[in-house]
Amino acid sequence: MSDTAVTAKSYRATIAGVLAVVIVLWSVVPLLWMLLTAFKPQTAINTSTPVLAFAPTLENFIRLFTGGNSIGPYILNSVLASVGSTVIAVGLGTMAGYGLSRWKSRAKGNLSFWIISTRMAPIAAVIVPLFVIFRQFGLINSVPGLIVAYLTFNLPFAIWLMSAFFAEVPTALQEAAQIDGCNKWQAFRLVVLPTTLPGMIATAVLCTVFSWNDYAFATAFSGPESQTLPMSAGSLITQTGTDWGQLCALGIITVLPMIVIGLLVRRHLVTGMSMGAVTGE
Amino acid sequence: MNDAPGAMSRRTVLQGAGLGLMALSLAGCTSNATNATAGTAGKGGWKQFSGTTINFISENTAPSAAIAANSKPFTDLTGIKVNITQMQLSDLVQKVKLDMSSGSSQYHVIYADPYQVLAPLSGGLTDLAPLVKNPSYPKVEKGLSDFIALDAAGRFLDKDKLFALPYDCPTMIWMYRKDLFDKYHDRMKRDLGFDPTPSGSITWEQYYQIADWFNKNGKADVPYGTGHQAKQHDSLQCDFSNVLWAYGGDYFAGSEIGTLGSQKPGESDLTSSEAVAAATFYQKLLGIAHPSSTSWDWDGLGSAFAAGQIAMCPNWHEYAASNEKSLPGKVAYSILPTGPKRSANNWGGTGIGINANAKDKELGAAWLFANWATSPDTQLMTLASKVGGGTPTRTSVYDLPQVKKNEQRPSTMPNMLTAAAVLEAWKPEHIGLRPKVATWNQLDTIVYTELSKMLAGSSSPQATMSSMARQFDQVNK
Amino acid sequence: MMLPALAVLAAVSVVPFISLIVMSFSSVKLLGGVGMTLLGLGNWTAVLTDSQTWHAWLVTIEFFVLAVGMEMIFGTIFALILNSLRRARSIAFSLVLLPMFLAPITVGLLGNYLLDPTIGLYSWVLRVVGLLPAGHSLLGQQSTALLAVATLDAWQWIPLVTLIVLAGLSSVNPSVLEAASVDGAGYVRTLYSIVFPTIAPVLLVALLVRSMDAIRYYDIVKITTGGGPANASWVISLQLNEKVQATSLDGITTLIGQASVIGITMLVFTTIIANLFVRVLDRRGLTR
Repeated sequence: MSDTAVTAKSYRATIAGVLAVVIVLWSVVPLLWMLLTAFKPQTAINTSTPVLAFAPTLENFIRLFTGGNSIGPYILNSVLASVGSTVIAVGLGTMAGYGLSRWKSRAKGNLSFWIISTRMAPIAAVIVPLFVIFRQFGLINSVPGLIVAYLTFNLPFAIWLMSAFFAEVPTALQEAAQIDGCNKWQAFRLVVLPTTLPGMIATAVLCTVFSWNDYAFATAFSGPESQTLPMSAGSLITQTGTDWGQLCALGIITVLPMIVIGLLVRRHLVTGMSMGAVTGE
Repeated sequence: MNDAPGAMSRRTVLQGAGLGLMALSLAGCTSNATNATAGTAGKGGWKQFSGTTINFISENTAPSAAIAANSKPFTDLTGIKVNITQMQLSDLVQKVKLDMSSGSSQYHVIYADPYQVLAPLSGGLTDLAPLVKNPSYPKVEKGLSDFIALDAAGRFLDKDKLFALPYDCPTMIWMYRKDLFDKYHDRMKRDLGFDPTPSGSITWEQYYQIADWFNKNGKADVPYGTGHQAKQHDSLQCDFSNVLWAYGGDYFAGSEIGTLGSQKPGESDLTSSEAVAAATFYQKLLGIAHPSSTSWDWDGLGSAFAAGQIAMCPNWHEYAASNEKSLPGKVAYSILPTGPKRSANNWGGTGIGINANAKDKELGAAWLFANWATSPDTQLMTLASKVGGGTPTRTSVYDLPQVKKNEQRPSTMPNMLTAAAVLEAWKPEHIGLRPKVATWNQLDTIVYTELSKMLAGSSSPQATMSSMARQFDQVNK
Repeated sequence: MMLPALAVLAAVSVVPFISLIVMSFSSVKLLGGVGMTLLGLGNWTAVLTDSQTWHAWLVTIEFFVLAVGMEMIFGTIFALILNSLRRARSIAFSLVLLPMFLAPITVGLLGNYLLDPTIGLYSWVLRVVGLLPAGHSLLGQQSTALLAVATLDAWQWIPLVTLIVLAGLSSVNPSVLEAASVDGAGYVRTLYSIVFPTIAPVLLVALLVRSMDAIRYYDIVKITTGGGPANASWVISLQLNEKVQATSLDGITTLIGQASVIGITMLVFTTIIANLFVRVLDRRGLTR
């Protein structure tokens, strides 16, 4: 009995190992290829058989940072817009999410549905009305404008996710704190909030990724002084040939910060997500 | 507006201008003769808006890349700082439209594609005619008559108004592998019964036979004879239009729709027997083309040609520069084959205009930039630029000795290897002009969508053209 | 506590939503300042009688099923595989997570690059193993274009579902799955009866977010197939964008009214789908 069980066990482990290799390859090969291409000279890119041996060059990166359209300022705009939007979305979203999770009313379902429904609007359809509003407030061609635009998808997402996390925190915890002499705000800040910290981090990371990667709003609302990184991808597809080397270099520059942030807080991502999953009943 | 269609009237409309070149110019060398003679550029007036910053929004074209890479000469000359934002045309159209609607001008200088920007948005562009005449600004060097395709690129409806100065002029021509045509010349000639050397005297039917011959006999050198930009995309319409015009068909009947444009194009002419014959041929041609053609736009086609996948193709002539990098010395150029009617070569030029919301200093600075960017000197600079390599929209530039020298290999201006072909293609009898109507954006989608269905085999040429015509009439009703 | 967030949300969503409704009954002009003239039901009849609209919806639903289906199914499978790893779980997990950090536009461009029939790595691989005839392109064939763009979307978003399911699995006692995995049937039963109910609420968030984005999916399809070939991947957001861009012959009136109609129908459809999922999956009163 134990012999067969051990064999079966190692057999299963092998299968799992093989499958894991498959899914890892599926996920990373395109990225690795992008990374390789970013360091390839043009001649090693336009080949009908993939080239693995080539003299690596920094040419593609250098060209992105030189000339009249250096992407340097775009990086700054991207950072400001996505961090700004994330901070506001998570801040307001945490408060609203908490309120929503503690709110007891018949209208709760409707309210919570309305919140998430604001994230459903097709961007192209609302660009004209948003443009008119933005112009009223001088938000066109500015980083604050992008921050507000990104709130349209980040805020509902943050509220919804945070309210799911707060729903996991037993009300008894807060009540206990209040009995110990905390007021409602202190109880929230000192007792409830820390328990949802992983959830907040997970939310923040996802909000950052969403806004960092936005193309539609940036194209419509940003101008020469507020252009973001993904937009420059559009400007590299020229009428006389797509420069894959530069596009891949840009792709790497764009994704690297997100990967770093994402992997740094990977543990929190899982804990955060699992918080929503722990049965609190 | 719809008076006397036909070659003669088109010829009169597109009367030639320039030094020994039949260039597509405004019908009126007459109306602007005064400026044309004003000629030489005054050096005065360039510094008057020093310190101003303007924004130029452009599609990602070769000259913009060249200017973006080096706008210093302009800043040195004028003291004006210019930011260049480059994006895809569809994104550009949306941004420009929003900008114009706002009553302010975020972008002062606008890349005014004749079909997507100029025709639908001419109301949002400044009339440049008064600026041209204004003595306080530097003169337009060599005058307006030096421009190629001034009407098509710069005017809409009204001959007395000018909305843009011609800025680039990509044109579809026939690019082919000279090395392979040389290698197989005698065999092909024997097998096909005609001299296959590409020229305007080869017919589209013969083009088909050459492609077919390569498919059958040239596999050792190249997988397919011909390839096309037949993705469901603007490019498919561009590619098909060459054939449509060559066969004597057209989108509308009027003769000035390609130059001055129209607000009343009337009913579509696409159900004519010529148009149906063109569609029938196009379907047949794509049947033997490289099977990836349906996934290629001009870019995909360009890189497939450069990678040696096909022996020949119709494509925008500015791909010459990248051809010369990948296949040095192996590519040659001709105007496109002839149909029952003519050889038609789709002209894709664009002008740059000024946002009507631009005022005072910004207007002045924008005009100086537009004037400078389209001047012969600047055009020569972008022509020689390593990142750009656009092609001049000034006839005088083509006559410069240093440009002429580069029409032959070895050339430091590889795009000029196409000079003989494009100069021929711009002659009134060879140029292909799409209809300049405000609804073109919609019509274009209809054309390439229906064609894509036809190529996928889901509708016949006859049904395709009737369906296109029906939708045209609905859009323009 | 909800007030500040709700106020901001209202500002950026209520006003556009109302204008969307008003515009759907109007003819909208842009040049010389945004303006509207009431038109009645014209935009609605124009959109609803257009066969192209219905075709676009059909393609959208196909895309939705393909993409969201792949994301949920493979996301779960990936998580189960990772969860059963003994060694290198952490590094494998990190690597599997990577695609979701990419910008959709980068994914689209990368898809173009990898599937390019001439220089594409994946086209080459598929050719070598004999799955793709020489010279053919996955994005250029009517039969494979939609599947290809759905797969690109799935490639990017499977990680999100994996992450969520893995999180859910971490709250399940490992010995439960371990014991159950001795026989296959027990494994599936355990998944179904213990694991899925546990992770349902967060899975619901993933499903909702992915569904919403699948219906308004735009960046990737625009940059890869552009809706073709032969309209095989012409999703509703392309139809909407087409109308946003359109101008009538006078150059002043736009078809933004028709675009608004499409926008509203997309909102309605998303609402219905979202409600359906909430009803089926939400067992713990998240919205009640």
